[in-house]
Amino acid sequence: MLKLSEQQELLRKVVRDFVENELAPIAQKIHEEDTCPVELFQKMGQLGFNGVFVPAKYGGTGLGFTEQAIILEEIGRHSAGFAATLVAHYMGVFAILNWGSEEQKEKYLPLLCSGAFGGFSITEPGGGSDFAGLQATGKLDDGEWVLNGRKCFITNSHCMGVNVMNVNTGVDAKGRPQISVFIIEGSAPGHTPGRKEKKAGLRGSYTGEVILNNVRLPQSNLLGQPGDGAKISLGTLGVMGRGGTAATSLGILRACLEESVKFAKERVIYGRPLSKLPNIQFLIAQNRTDYEAARLLTYNAMGMKDAGLPNTAEISMAKFFAAEAAVNAAKRTMDLMGGYGLVTDYPVSRYLLDAMGTIPCCGTSHIMQVIIAGEELRK
Amino acid sequence: MNIAVCVKPVPEPRHYDKIIINPATKLLERKGIPMIINPVDKNAIEAALQLKEQFGGKVVLVSMAPPDTRETIKEGLAMGADEAYLLSDRAFAGADTLATARVLAAGLTKIGGLDLILTGSASADGGTNHIPSQLGELMGFAHLNHLTELHLEASTIKMKTKIENGYVEYEGSLPLVLGVARELNTPRYTTLMGVVIAQNKPFTTWGLKDLGLDPSNTGLSGSPTQPGDLHMPQHGQKAQMFAGEPEDMAGKIIAILRTAGVLD
Amino acid sequence: MEQQPGAVWVVVEQNGGILAEVTLELLGKARDLAALGGGAHASAVLLGSKIESLAEELIAHGADQVILMDAPRLTLYQNDTYALVLAELVKKHRPEIVLFGASYYGSELSATVAAKLETGLAAHCLDLYINDRGEFVQVVPAFGGMILGDILCPTARPQLASVKPGMFQKPDRDTTRSGETLIETPTVLEGYASPLKAVRVVQSQPAGLPLEKAATVVAGGWGVGQEAWHFLDQLAGELSGAVGCTRPALDEGWAAGEHAMIGTSGKTVRPQVYIGFGVSGATHHMAGMKDSGVIININKDPAATVFQVSDYGVVADAKELLPVLLEKIREYKGKSKSQATIKCIQ
Ligand SMILES: Cc1cc2nc3c(=O)[nH]c(=O)nc-3n(C[C@H](O)[C@H](O)[C@H](O)COP(=O)(O)OP(=O)(O)OC[C@H]3O[C@@H](n4cnc5c(N)ncnc54)[C@H](O)[C@@H]3O)c2cc1C
Ligand SMILES: Cc1cc2nc3c(=O)[nH]c(=O)nc-3n(C[C@H](O)[C@H](O)[C@H](O)COP(=O)(O)OP(=O)(O)OC[C@H]3O[C@@H](n4cnc5c(N)ncnc54)[C@H](O)[C@@H]3O)c2cc1C
Ligand SMILES: Cc1cc2nc3c(=O)[nH]c(=O)nc-3n(C[C@H](O)[C@H](O)[C@H](O)COP(=O)(O)OP(=O)(O)OC[C@H]3O[C@@H](n4cnc5c(N)ncnc54)[C@H](O)[C@@H]3O)c2cc1C
Repeated sequence: MLKLSEQQELLRKVVRDFVENELAPIAQKIHEEDTCPVELFQKMGQLGFNGVFVPAKYGGTGLGFTEQAIILEEIGRHSAGFAATLVAHYMGVFAILNWGSEEQKEKYLPLLCSGAFGGFSITEPGGGSDFAGLQATGKLDDGEWVLNGRKCFITNSHCMGVNVMNVNTGVDAKGRPQISVFIIEGSAPGHTPGRKEKKAGLRGSYTGEVILNNVRLPQSNLLGQPGDGAKISLGTLGVMGRGGTAATSLGILRACLEESVKFAKERVIYGRPLSKLPNIQFLIAQNRTDYEAARLLTYNAMGMKDAGLPNTAEISMAKFFAAEAAVNAAKRTMDLMGGYGLVTDYPVSRYLLDAMGTIPCCGTSHIMQVIIAGEELRK
Repeated sequence: MNIAVCVKPVPEPRHYDKIIINPATKLLERKGIPMIINPVDKNAIEAALQLKEQFGGKVVLVSMAPPDTRETIKEGLAMGADEAYLLSDRAFAGADTLATARVLAAGLTKIGGLDLILTGSASADGGTNHIPSQLGELMGFAHLNHLTELHLEASTIKMKTKIENGYVEYEGSLPLVLGVARELNTPRYTTLMGVVIAQNKPFTTWGLKDLGLDPSNTGLSGSPTQPGDLHMPQHGQKAQMFAGEPEDMAGKIIAILRTAGVLD
Repeated sequence: MEQQPGAVWVVVEQNGGILAEVTLELLGKARDLAALGGGAHASAVLLGSKIESLAEELIAHGADQVILMDAPRLTLYQNDTYALVLAELVKKHRPEIVLFGASYYGSELSATVAAKLETGLAAHCLDLYINDRGEFVQVVPAFGGMILGDILCPTARPQLASVKPGMFQKPDRDTTRSGETLIETPTVLEGYASPLKAVRVVQSQPAGLPLEKAATVVAGGWGVGQEAWHFLDQLAGELSGAVGCTRPALDEGWAAGEHAMIGTSGKTVRPQVYIGFGVSGATHHMAGMKDSGVIININKDPAATVFQVSDYGVVADAKELLPVLLEKIREYKGKSKSQATIKCIQ
């Protein structure tokens, strides 16, 4: 039986209180205008959301991954797009917390906990899934690193405070591409946003290009050692990215469940509420079951991480299942609503697009299956 | 300045359409409705926290409720109150407002050293708005309800309270019992650190014996009023219909508006 | 003179010499209850200063007796002084039942007096009656009006109740009625210093509230039409409420803006009172207001769907009714209270 602690339940209550008052009323608006509510993010910083798993000595709340997932589920319930902002932020924070030096942690984490946006940059026009094939480069020049290249699909590109950047820094001893990771402040000369993508879903977060044009960084901005890229990125994506995206999809699943119940009760046809029809009840049962299954997978994977257990397969299953289930639930909810599902007066068409958006984020369903199967076949 | 805030755990008002009367037992059923701190009691906590920030001292929460409401009350600690006292005993069950006020007064007296006692103006469930006045009487403190403004200057307190179509300005001095209206302030959001810290704040539970109360003065047996049958109002069943001249219809509507309490 | 046992009292609420409607409504009820109690008195307790002339009016509306306490200390209502003298009067005359109007003043005063006397008080009653066992049943709302409960007060006396305005029929004024006036003096106040001082009373319309917070929502649909729309704003003003609308009314440009639309695509409101004009009752709209306390709809079509979810339906032309209703409400309010006056207490 999965049971969250009383402290975790109280945390959910206070997060929900904030989200229902501050985010829910603007969720449709930020979707339509495709803007990220920057002030809201900063308010969340003041309340401790942005550094929930960061130890208190760096300005965080000192809690764990389960709490992080609770926050993302609650935010994802009303705006998966805005949740994506937080997922990308958490990835940047997580990378610095885990692989940063003491100086780096002291310098960047308090900023990131109190309102500055974090980000994590891998993807390039040449491919997101092909990590080793990254084209952006970092070269040593006169004891300093000089970064050049173009990243795309970077969440928080246009509001970046601290960007954790993956670039190619040459080849290792075996001649394989060496990927290294740098911490770049958003305002660093040569680090600029490029095009802001016009997304169909997950709007309410900025996703766009980040251009690196002779960005000069001292050695102290290198995260970990040269060549740590694979370790840091896979670790970050695996734990924060996929776990966070699973929790966001879980939020969409709950939104679908709640909206389908509400609509079925309110809509009157043949003089009776829609909810009296058995086929409509089936759809609600499916939404409920999908939500429950995704909830168990997600919080179980997070709980394993909090307990220090390896959870690569569990977190990939949670991400895979939750994202796909969210798409199915959104489609199902649109079916339930007849023509109304298509009308943007109702949020469900947004849920469908958002759910589709969670599939590529932090690794597609295909990649998740590759990982899950890999773990299984290795046994 | 030591302030006590009386907080009542109530079922969340937005789910009140799910409350039913069990036809067999004739009791209220509110299964699955989450418990929260009575919404306006959070305004009272906010007022107390602001006063503490200004003048120092501590803020304690006091609640008469069953033991399983501990977690609900903790939200008030997470918001920033320093300590909580849960007054809980089988013998307190079924209390009317007078019996409730007696237990609260006993708890507050035992805590002692209080300069100000704040309550909400009315609870979302019982909603009698008796408690602030009755508590004030039993404590021997001056009291006001429906407070919309509060300024503490040196030793005088300036206050405003709501009345129909207006307000009254008062001056007074501590100690006081004040029932806080929603208009007084906007409660702060609870920080996540607040949630963490709340777990280790002092939380005391007192029962009948701890408060030195006589069971014949508490709970149902200590209540002058006794509950009878419960009913559901016949809303949305069939409209009562009127037709006629505009003058007559206007008169009917005025009567309905007055009955509903929005025209006085 | 001594009171007969079983008297029913009404605590009079008056403002600057004008009697509150609820007081008169309660007098009618008090007389019925007193009659059931075996021919006991229905008494009006009149506190204030220079208000003797109201005694006649109270008798004309059904009081058998007026207990009058006329003193400068009582010029304006103050909870502590009023509660002290009332508690003394109750101890002296031992009425069976004491009724208060459930106004801000009345509910505070009743709660204070009940605590002083350690007796029972039923709050905001919607009905009062004597059941077949001879018990005084007080029907009170709870859970925001979703539940009604019967309250009994088996042993403690007197039985106190505060009653919402408009629950009972105001008795006809009958100037031929006669009654006695009993003069009392507030001796308890001698040497008593109030811990609180009421500095002044300000009567004003509260500022307009956002739709979701308004206690009264005046909603307009397509049936209101452009010309009559402004009456809705005025009506909401008089009721300290807010104006909401249906989608067609928004699309026509009559309503203030998107924020006023109620329904699945707009706001969900739960006011104490929803009063709709020219609204047909589409589920899209109803989804946003069905949980309102009391639902009143005005529609010219007696078969309009909207009446199925209403508590009260008025078949009328909204365009004709609105100006008349507005005028009547203003007239009514003018009578019961002078608006926007500021009174200072010395
Ligand atoms: C809203 C949004 C926000 C994003 N934010 C960020 C961010 O902040 N930082 C960042 O670095 N990236 C970000 N991304 C990029 C995201 O990580 C990539 O989109 C994702 O990794 C897929 O890469 P791609 O789009 O280049 O697709 P490709 O890698 O080109 O994949 C195309 C198709 O091939 C399949 N495929 C690829 N490789 C394999 C394989 N090995 N086996 C089987 N099938 C395979 C994929 O499943 C997919 O169906 C974001 C994406 C989105 C949509
Ligand atoms: C259907 C129903 C009808 C009722 N009718 C009556 C009635 O007519 N007369 C009567 O005497 N009782 C009545 N009661 C009982 C009454 O609701 C309870 O006595 C209740 O414990 C306190 O009253 P309240 O919630 O109405 O308080 P209110 O006076 O409305 O509450 C004001 C404030 O007092 C504080 N407060 C209230 N209760 C507590 C508590 N337990 N712990 C801490 N702080 C508290 C809170 O700050 C609250 O905001 C009724 C109950 C029900 C269910
Ligand atoms: C996707 C979608 C979302 C929607 N969302 C909403 C929403 O959120 N909110 C909403 O309100 N609507 C919404 N609608 C519109 C909704 O379906 C109805 O069309 C609308 O509520 C009807 O508004 P109405 O009652 O003002 O107009 P009508 O349906 O045209 O009704 C007018 C009524 O006024 C009466 N009438 C006419 N003249 C007079 C008169 N002189 N005196 C008295 N009565 C008169 C008529 O008898 C009739 O009953 C939505 C529709 C869709 C398709």
